[in-house]
Amino acid sequence: MVNISINGQKIRAKEGANVLQEAKDLRIDIPTLCYHNDLTTFGACRLCTVEVKTDGAWKLAASCQTEVAEGMEVLTDSDKVKESRKLAAALLYYKYPGTQAIRDVAEKLGVEVVPTETDSRDCILCGLCTRTCHEIVRADALKFQDRGLGRSLEEPKIEFISPACIGCGSCAYVCSTGFVRMEAVDGKRMIWDKVFKMAVCNNCGRYFAPVEQLEFISRTTGVPVSNLMTCVSCR
Amino acid sequence: MNTVENFEIFAPKLINKRELFSAGHRACQGCGEVLALRLIMKALGEDTVVSNATGCMEIISTAYPHTAWEVPYIHVAFENAAAVGSGVEAGLKALRRKGKIADRYVKSVAIAGDGGTVDIGFQALSGAMERGHDMTFFCLDNEAYMNTGIQRSSATPFMAATTTSPAGKTIKGQRTGKKNVPEIMVAHNIPYVATACPSYPLDLMNKVEKARKIKGPAYIHVFSVCPTGWRAASNETIKLGRMAVETGSFPLYEVENGKYRLTMDYTDKRRPMQDYLKLQGRFRHLDPADIAKVQALVDKEFRKLMHKVNTSVPWD
Repeated sequence: MVNISINGQKIRAKEGANVLQEAKDLRIDIPTLCYHNDLTTFGACRLCTVEVKTDGAWKLAASCQTEVAEGMEVLTDSDKVKESRKLAAALLYYKYPGTQAIRDVAEKLGVEVVPTETDSRDCILCGLCTRTCHEIVRADALKFQDRGLGRSLEEPKIEFISPACIGCGSCAYVCSTGFVRMEAVDGKRMIWDKVFKMAVCNNCGRYFAPVEQLEFISRTTGVPVSNLMTCVSCR
Repeated sequence: MNTVENFEIFAPKLINKRELFSAGHRACQGCGEVLALRLIMKALGEDTVVSNATGCMEIISTAYPHTAWEVPYIHVAFENAAAVGSGVEAGLKALRRKGKIADRYVKSVAIAGDGGTVDIGFQALSGAMERGHDMTFFCLDNEAYMNTGIQRSSATPFMAATTTSPAGKTIKGQRTGKKNVPEIMVAHNIPYVATACPSYPLDLMNKVEKARKIKGPAYIHVFSVCPTGWRAASNETIKLGRMAVETGSFPLYEVENGKYRLTMDYTDKRRPMQDYLKLQGRFRHLDPADIAKVQALVDKEFRKLMHKVNTSVPWD
């Protein structure tokens, strides 16, 4: 346990915890777009910025990526913090003006938001889907394109590796802007422009999961596919 | 190897792990209502104030000096959950304006059972929805007054036997059908009305999240299986919920600004009511002719709903 103070409130935080989670536990409102409790932190949106004092100097830091340390002081509501968050939100808003999730956050943080008819649902590169695919599903079908030194000047985007995708839909579930769309029509599921055939439950005859997903589960757990052909209602 | 353990779809792993309605309450075995409440609280999150009418959920969760609630909670009388919920919303607004509380969005939520919604709490609910408060009302519908010993309410389905509508030779249980409260709420011109069932947890949580986001009144009718009052086996709660939905006796749908949308796919052939009725002791007295009557009523209600789904358009 380490002793830290958030907005003057002294708390004992668990070692290795991040400042964002500790602040959330104190019911302090910190805006985020790329944070999820069950995934590793990413620090893409910079909206969770706070002021942190370690070794006598105040500095701005993304709270999700800041690990608590003994004697740390945190301010979540100072003028500097507000200014920094507003800037981060403004930059996101200018880049994706038609995305509702961005508009909501920007408006809340004091950016002037102009009314619009468009609902563009852009990808803001928050990395929620890539992290979900890697850490939760372990299918690794989603990756960022052009990483590292080879990164080109071309706009970065998410690379979709078609054969690896099992069509589970977790990326659509976790997506904060609605960019990842999933549709179901007559026994087929469409996601990332790939069409998946849905398996039919042996018992009730309803479509319940993509065939690829069942094959993937069979591969990773060693259970034959024939044992998985019953839906959750009938099991 | 246990198949069920390994077979997990992945999205549920991303659901909030924190319990805001904690374990250690006193609900019966197999209670569908408390399951619904747990999922609702997960979806609502911490910034919530709950006003809860008298009923099962209040009795089992708040036996003095214990509480199962991890959010601010007010127990109110049977009839005024919605009125208190709207008052909480107005109070929060005033405190925020005066700078007495931090400026963040806190949702006011009212929760009541079917008795507290469709019978006793009805005028308060109607008033709160009509005034357009920024609040969400949840009806946890277990189809009778279970907590006081299974008395009929106007949400009790046709021909169900309860202690105050017993099955006899002449009158076979409840003489009328279920009051369609979601429909009455749509008539209040509120932005969001939905029906949900904890047997479909992700669907329920998505609807709750949607209602939370709406800055205005929302109503969610949650079908909550009660094995004790329905004289059913306590291990069949989830199955019964699914059957009620699959037979069409409790269809899952949502109404956004007047536009009806089914959230569950129905094929032309729905599951027959017989499958659902025979699992419950409260329908034990029904003979095939009675079951046909129940089926006819369900078909009629379903047809009415499908007509609205096919023809309704958003208000604006």
